[in-house]
Amino acid sequence: MTALAILVVLGPLAGPAAAIADARARLAGLAQAGGAAMALGCALALLTMLDGRAPLAGWDGFLYVDSLGGFFLMTVAAVTLLAALGSVGYVAAQEDSGELSGFQVRLYFTFFGLFASLMLAALETGNLGLLFVLIEASTLASAALVGLEGRARSLEAAWKYVIISSLGVTIALAGTLFLFYSGSALHLGSNLGLTWPYLLMHAHALAPQSLRLAFLLAVVGYGTKVGLAPMHTWLPDAHAEAPSPASAMLSAALLNTGMYAIIRFLAIAHARLGSTYPRAVLLSFGFASIVIGALFMVRKGNFKRLFAYSSVEHMGIIAVALGFGGVLGLYGALLQTLNHALAKAVLFLSSGDVSLRYRTREANQVTGLLAAVPVTGGALLLASFAALGSPPFGLFLSELTIVRAGFAYGSPVFPLLLLALLGLAFVAFARTTAGMVTGSPPAQLASPYRGRAAVAVTAAPLVLGLAALLVLGLWIPAGLDAVLRHSVGVIG
Amino acid sequence: MQSLSQTSTAGVLLDLSGVLILLLAFACLASKLFNRYVVYYGAQSVVLSFAAGTAAVAFHSAELWILAALTLAVKGIAIPLAARRLLVTRLALKRDAAMSTGLSTSLIAGGALTAFAYLVTRPALLPHGTVASAVVPLSTAVILLGSLSMVVRRHTVAQLIGWLIVENGVFLGAITLVATFPFIVEAGIFLDIVAGVLIMVVFVSGLTRQLAEASAAELKELRG
Repeated sequence: MTALAILVVLGPLAGPAAAIADARARLAGLAQAGGAAMALGCALALLTMLDGRAPLAGWDGFLYVDSLGGFFLMTVAAVTLLAALGSVGYVAAQEDSGELSGFQVRLYFTFFGLFASLMLAALETGNLGLLFVLIEASTLASAALVGLEGRARSLEAAWKYVIISSLGVTIALAGTLFLFYSGSALHLGSNLGLTWPYLLMHAHALAPQSLRLAFLLAVVGYGTKVGLAPMHTWLPDAHAEAPSPASAMLSAALLNTGMYAIIRFLAIAHARLGSTYPRAVLLSFGFASIVIGALFMVRKGNFKRLFAYSSVEHMGIIAVALGFGGVLGLYGALLQTLNHALAKAVLFLSSGDVSLRYRTREANQVTGLLAAVPVTGGALLLASFAALGSPPFGLFLSELTIVRAGFAYGSPVFPLLLLALLGLAFVAFARTTAGMVTGSPPAQLASPYRGRAAVAVTAAPLVLGLAALLVLGLWIPAGLDAVLRHSVGVIG
Repeated sequence: MQSLSQTSTAGVLLDLSGVLILLLAFACLASKLFNRYVVYYGAQSVVLSFAAGTAAVAFHSAELWILAALTLAVKGIAIPLAARRLLVTRLALKRDAAMSTGLSTSLIAGGALTAFAYLVTRPALLPHGTVASAVVPLSTAVILLGSLSMVVRRHTVAQLIGWLIVENGVFLGAITLVATFPFIVEAGIFLDIVAGVLIMVVFVSGLTRQLAEASAAELKELRG
């Protein structure tokens, strides 16, 4: 099992290895996709072997994988696979057109693989210090991706991203320190004492005052990475300026990794402080994010920014679901995480194809997508509806669960507010994407790809992601249901 | 873990270092010259490395000695030197004009934040008997002051220094835990490397844009 856990982390490094060996974009992308597929396979195998049994732990608690960690591993690995497949066509097309130099292509795959690998490693550690180290390292790797294109705009976005996220994560480290202060009655002497399972088991002995501070600092700090308002300001810029497959990684993998860190802190805070305090914190940040996300989606403009604000909104929904709590709320939050990751990966990858073909990222310059490029147009339309929570896709189910959890928790004000905001987001978002797919396409649209294979490999992740979303909307496989239930049990 | 009591020599020295670090953060907040930012940051790091050394003596910890040496070498010497060469001199940075509030306003805000830090983390609120010294409130205040100077200053280099001060604040808090939590040591070392990477990012972006004034205030393209 330990070997599987290591393979999950090593898998995505196939891309960097190929890039260092001077492979061209197509080959490096395929290597990246192969590595990601291996990581996903190993993550699934790990989940199957865990199945409610004792978590995998070793190396003084530095390695720790339970159902919750396994679930996030699966999500991130799946997104990595989709984004790696998307990279093959996207980066090769940019290399062919001369927009990216050979050096930039190698940089892209080096940092893409490192980024994925660091996130997967962060999900596999039980040590809260190491969690911080890995999340900060993944910030740096992804900042290189954001600034890759080297234009003034992308450098600005990268700078904004790296400075705001680093400050955020440093604040999360301060939160981790306060967590350890609160545990000083435990006389934490060894590395084991620093680990999450140990602290959770001994949560009753933690000092409540500094634990409260620790939880708040962790939510603010890791919340910066998640994109919770008002710490979300880096997010739309970084998502808009990064190459599209990298945007998919940011939105669907990085944000979830930050949320995972918050969930770990939530479990400890919940065990010691009860539900009132964590709920107040999470509902405040969650609703602020949904409001900000929905309001900024009203503006028409860069469609990648639109998708980015939709991520802010969805992260807000997940935070609200965690705040509602209970089995329903936590189950809904995790299901929403997986569904949002798939929908957003499809959206950003199709946006990559659109920006290559139309040579613009402005929504009002894109028309007739469905007629010009049926696969991408269809994927964009369907994924938009999926992201907005309409049936039969998975997000309908998870948002319904979350609203039900809200009613179960007591005051009907919060779920009703949530429904109203979801309605606003629906109108704002669909207004833009409907305009993009309908109408007649501009006269001359040259295909940016060379050969049929490149077109097929660009369509593959879109079809795969949508198929998964559809399945999750109609039927939750028994294995996934078991994993989700075990994970909910871990959080408490 | 044996904890430092307020009256032991090491405890007093740690408290004193903490106060000095806070004062240097204030000095940085009150300054308008890029050169001074770097000097104050360097001095703060030297005091920090002294604090780590004090803790190393008190706890007889080899790891802490390594940490103190690393802090001195990386944060006290290497980063300030590199920042001066690569940023201040090369970009001909002198006076920092890009501030969103006046100096007096930001100093008053800094004073308020320091008081706030004490209110939130005063020793009475922390678990009994562990961190007897005033280091925790002091380090919290330094974190807040660093964040304040990042908010008030719009120049990328000034923001970078602000972040480094926040990091020093976290590090000061970590020292009191290091004897119990060896892993914090590694995290701290890692943060140092991060700081180096960040500086490179600024350097590269400054070079690429060929702008003498790489001011975040001029970042107008990305709005909304």
